Amino acid sequence: MARMKFLCDAERCIECNACVVACNNEHEVPWGINRRHVVTMKDGEQGEKSVSVACMHCTDAPCAAVCPVDCFYTTDDGIVLHDKDICIGCGYCFYACPFGAPQYPEQQAFGVRGKMDKCTFCAGGPGEDNSAEEFEKYGKNRIAEGKLPLCAEMCATKALLGGDGDEIADIYRQRVMKRGGRPQTWGWETAYKEGES
Amino acid sequence: MAQLIRRAGAVLTVTLLLGGCYESPDVTLHEPGEYKGPDDPFLEKAADPEHQEQLQQRLARGQTDR
Amino acid sequence: MKLYRKSERPGGVVDRRTFLQRSGLAVGGGVLAGSLPLTMVQRAQAQDKVNPPKPGVDTEIRKSVCTHCSVGCGVLAEVQNGVWTGQEPDFDSPINLGAHCAKGASVRDHGHGEKRLKYPMKLTGGKWKRISWEQAIDEIGDKLQEVRAESGPDSLFFCGSSKASNEQAYLQRKFAAFWGSNNCDHQARICHSTTVAGVANTWGYGAMTSSFNDMHVAKSMLFIGSNPAEAHPIAMQHILRGKENGAKMIVVDPRFTRTAAHADKYVSLRPGTDVAFMWGMLWHIFENGWEDEEYIRQRVWGMDEIRKEVASWTPDEVERVTGVAEADVREVAETMAKNRPGSLVWCMGGTQHHIGNNFTRAYCIVQLALGNIGKAGGGADIFRGHDNVQGATDVGPNSHSLPGYYGLTDDAWSHWARVWDVDPDWLKGRFDAESYLSDTGDMQPARNLPGIPVSRWIDGVLADPADLSQKDNFRVAFFQGHAMNSLTRGPELKEALEKLEMLVINDPYPTHAAVVSDRTDGVYLLPAASQFETYGSVTASNRSLQWRFKVIDPIFETLPDHVVLYRLARKLGFDKEMFKHIKVVDDEPSIEDTLREINRGSWTIGYTGQSPERLKLHAENRHTFNTTTLKAEGGPCDGEYYGLPWPCWGTPEMGHPGTPILYDTSKSVAEGGLTFRARFGTERDGDSLLADGVYSKDSEIKDGYPEFTADMLKQLGWWDDLTPLEKREADGRNWKTDLSGGIQRVAIKHGCAPFGNAKARCVVWTFPDPVPVHREPLHSPRRDLVEKYPTYEDIKSYWRVPIKYASIQQIDYSQKYPLIFISGRLVEYEGGGEETRSNHWLAELQQEMFVEINPADANDRGIRDDEWVWLEGPNGGRIRIKAMITPRVTRGVVWTPFHFGGWYQGVDLVDKYPKGTEPWVRGESCNTATTYGYDIVTQMQEVKPTLCQIERAG
Repeated sequence: MARMKFLCDAERCIECNACVVACNNEHEVPWGINRRHVVTMKDGEQGEKSVSVACMHCTDAPCAAVCPVDCFYTTDDGIVLHDKDICIGCGYCFYACPFGAPQYPEQQAFGVRGKMDKCTFCAGGPGEDNSAEEFEKYGKNRIAEGKLPLCAEMCATKALLGGDGDEIADIYRQRVMKRGGRPQTWGWETAYKEGES
Repeated sequence: MAQLIRRAGAVLTVTLLLGGCYESPDVTLHEPGEYKGPDDPFLEKAADPEHQEQLQQRLARGQTDR
Repeated sequence: MKLYRKSERPGGVVDRRTFLQRSGLAVGGGVLAGSLPLTMVQRAQAQDKVNPPKPGVDTEIRKSVCTHCSVGCGVLAEVQNGVWTGQEPDFDSPINLGAHCAKGASVRDHGHGEKRLKYPMKLTGGKWKRISWEQAIDEIGDKLQEVRAESGPDSLFFCGSSKASNEQAYLQRKFAAFWGSNNCDHQARICHSTTVAGVANTWGYGAMTSSFNDMHVAKSMLFIGSNPAEAHPIAMQHILRGKENGAKMIVVDPRFTRTAAHADKYVSLRPGTDVAFMWGMLWHIFENGWEDEEYIRQRVWGMDEIRKEVASWTPDEVERVTGVAEADVREVAETMAKNRPGSLVWCMGGTQHHIGNNFTRAYCIVQLALGNIGKAGGGADIFRGHDNVQGATDVGPNSHSLPGYYGLTDDAWSHWARVWDVDPDWLKGRFDAESYLSDTGDMQPARNLPGIPVSRWIDGVLADPADLSQKDNFRVAFFQGHAMNSLTRGPELKEALEKLEMLVINDPYPTHAAVVSDRTDGVYLLPAASQFETYGSVTASNRSLQWRFKVIDPIFETLPDHVVLYRLARKLGFDKEMFKHIKVVDDEPSIEDTLREINRGSWTIGYTGQSPERLKLHAENRHTFNTTTLKAEGGPCDGEYYGLPWPCWGTPEMGHPGTPILYDTSKSVAEGGLTFRARFGTERDGDSLLADGVYSKDSEIKDGYPEFTADMLKQLGWWDDLTPLEKREADGRNWKTDLSGGIQRVAIKHGCAPFGNAKARCVVWTFPDPVPVHREPLHSPRRDLVEKYPTYEDIKSYWRVPIKYASIQQIDYSQKYPLIFISGRLVEYEGGGEETRSNHWLAELQQEMFVEINPADANDRGIRDDEWVWLEGPNGGRIRIKAMITPRVTRGVVWTPFHFGGWYQGVDLVDKYPKGTEPWVRGESCNTATTYGYDIVTQMQEVKPTLCQIERAG
């Protein structure tokens, strides 16, 4: 069984925001909500590095652990999904998440927090796959169509990899062997309890 | 259904994960609950070996340097 | 479960520092600049879920090509019932392998069209009024006839577009010709005209010599004035693959760009000093004997003249002028010398100077000295800007040439009259018959005089008509796809727009031009279809032609450019002649017929083999091409290069595979090999200009040779290789004018390049500076250097208008305006930005115009990060923008993006747009504050650098 993961190769990420736009386009994510962010460190200085960050679909996901209404579930291949009908928008998962992934569209007046929204690894949510209802709430279900997350598939430099953890680690390892230097699997330790495997 | 829901048993890990992030260690720990929502038919599909194979090929086609 | 006290919960906004700490991404001690994208706090009312896919409805995949830069990324569009519902990665394209940047990933927004112009409009009494296409064409046509009768055909400035397809761009040039004027142009003037002139005059063709994919095999890469991480993001995929394969990557730029962040070596130089830097490199190369002597002996003419100039560029002098220390210059030279072949890449940082042609020739000469041209992994890799700026330069609206770089001589006119099958005298009669003062000082008829280029069109409106080399000022301007905020001298631009009698903007969006002036009447907005709503071919920077299939029908009342041109031509009464061999159905000229006409006439650059059928075959078989060599391995395109990169010699039936790497003698010409072009005669000062003992593989002439003519075939005894039909056509003609293609076919059959086999030249004796020299920018802060490296004298008439040099440079602006001001690109936006700032996915990511300023300069002025500031240029233009304090720019240099528009000197012009068409994001155009200055050869505007002052905006 595959274990789905994301890996962002900071040596290749050029902060072009293709991943952010691909996601917004594919899932028609509303303005103001970004399921994915590109984060730049040492912006404008020697050593500048960028990585693309979204829900990492953690092992023993902390969001699931803190959810007071238990709206999270994890697929056999490790994708962390949630049910917006149960979600009460309390925001606990945002504070639990080490990656700042959960987002909350403001709904109606007084800035009331809406249902939590986050990266689904392009795997939708509960309900019939690629139904109008699933799309409305969670966006496209590419995985059900045999495709992988669009952010990774459209990445400008193939910096962002998304798919079976062993295979993307292989792709990454080969690259590192070729170019030398130390492997840096950003966020893997936190998300998957492992560094470079 | 139950087997589909990952029990976040490793409370210690969660504590460690979160501990580094916030100033205040003043927390109450709870066991994670069980998923309360409706079924996702995707889960059955995801387990299909043919589907897994399809995803593997897709990865090789789209995310390697070719 | 972890619960927090309510009081601990922060507000809705997370700053970047907190975010990083939490995500475990913070790196030791790194300063974290800026805050999270503004998107976290700012929201707009963009409509959600505009065209979602519908379950259970058939989805069709349509293939197109991204319209936002010249890399040429394949786009796969998902269409349901004519609605564009999704975008998939185009893994099969050998150019992008599925990848996109932010812009490419957003192109579906074109189909939403929320902010698009929806129907023709007319400005009357300060109000935008909807009108019909019929009324628009009638009124515009009547006015054109009126000014033509009074002031002649040259009183219209007709601006085409680098965003048009090849066929549309070609029709734009043809339209101007049939209207009877050379006053047409497009964006290439202000992006790479100095490249085209400099490079073509060095070795034959003014284009990128290899491909993005070829970077995989480079051993070194030098980027100077080029920032592909933002300007050509998908090129970075190939660049980083090259780097991972071991290539050394160097970035030389005044600004520590996002590309520099990936380089092995970064060198910061003072803006405008590239010639000095290049000669500094060559000084070390010659000093250490690193040049390729054999290559120079066989393939290069005039290097000794360069040695003389370089000798005066000692390390001390180079440092004094460029600010780069000897060790750095030496390291760059040594890295390039010891890691060959290497590629040298430049973009608009290297072109937008009043001596831009000197810059581009100096780059070429360094590559010639190293023997890096004509080799896989080497090259002068000029990354072009707009998606079809290469194609529009090749066959489109250029004020100095007919399609195919034939020029404007009577020979050129007679060649194209033959291709067009029109009476040359009728064509001549369309022009103003008077003669005017030419650039060379003699009098020439209007048809032979280059038109006023787009960089100078405002002077065509504002100058005293007595100073113009044409009958009258421009009275009408027609812009079919050009951003006005990309042009310098904002306040004068506004004045010019106001002085016109009629302004027509034919664009998918209203553009800055529609709102920046105080006009209340006489402006027409004609809604254009985007390239996704039509079809045709487009030439990427690497010279590959790709076919775009139509994704959706034109939305609202928009029309494709070629339909508008047809309707205008019909109204003006020359449609029968202009479309004589192009079938027109429902007012739409056939794109295929148009490309076939281009094929029939563009022999000079090998735009002859790329028939619509061959290009469509390539589009359908994209997966069969190798992603490094671009060569098809098996399948129906076996042996051909992707997109038949020009020159693709001869007729389509000849089956030439295209030329992936220019001047590569290791392959036979029939297989895409080439020599340097014999373009400049056969001898100079008693020296032969032909190649010495070097020739392309399988050449039957084992030495240099001139360009092919019918007579030469006879002398060689190859005349009888022509068919009788070819003989009839070829007799008395040459490889450029033989419409049968026979001369090219026979030359190639014998292994020869139709354009000859010569040396590249380092000395361009026809240019003002035959040997490229450094001259201080017109707005130089280094008064000490102005004396030693002065600019040119003013010229009374150049490209029909007066041009100032010394009279500008001698004024010292640097006291009042001490900061060096340069501009450039953001990855989210393109060009003038109207299209991309109207795209809600992109607009969300960059919401404010800003200026990058060094912390020291900011502190000297009491400016804090993210504060409003005024930036003022020496022309008096002032812009109100946000300060971004960053070490990315060095002390004394400031940088702004050039994509913003819709503001003018502190005022948001939102109310002046037709309702609902205002871009999501508006801001000051940097060019409101930029200044006078034009290249001595091409009239490229000098925007890098100029000067400015910045102060807090209270």
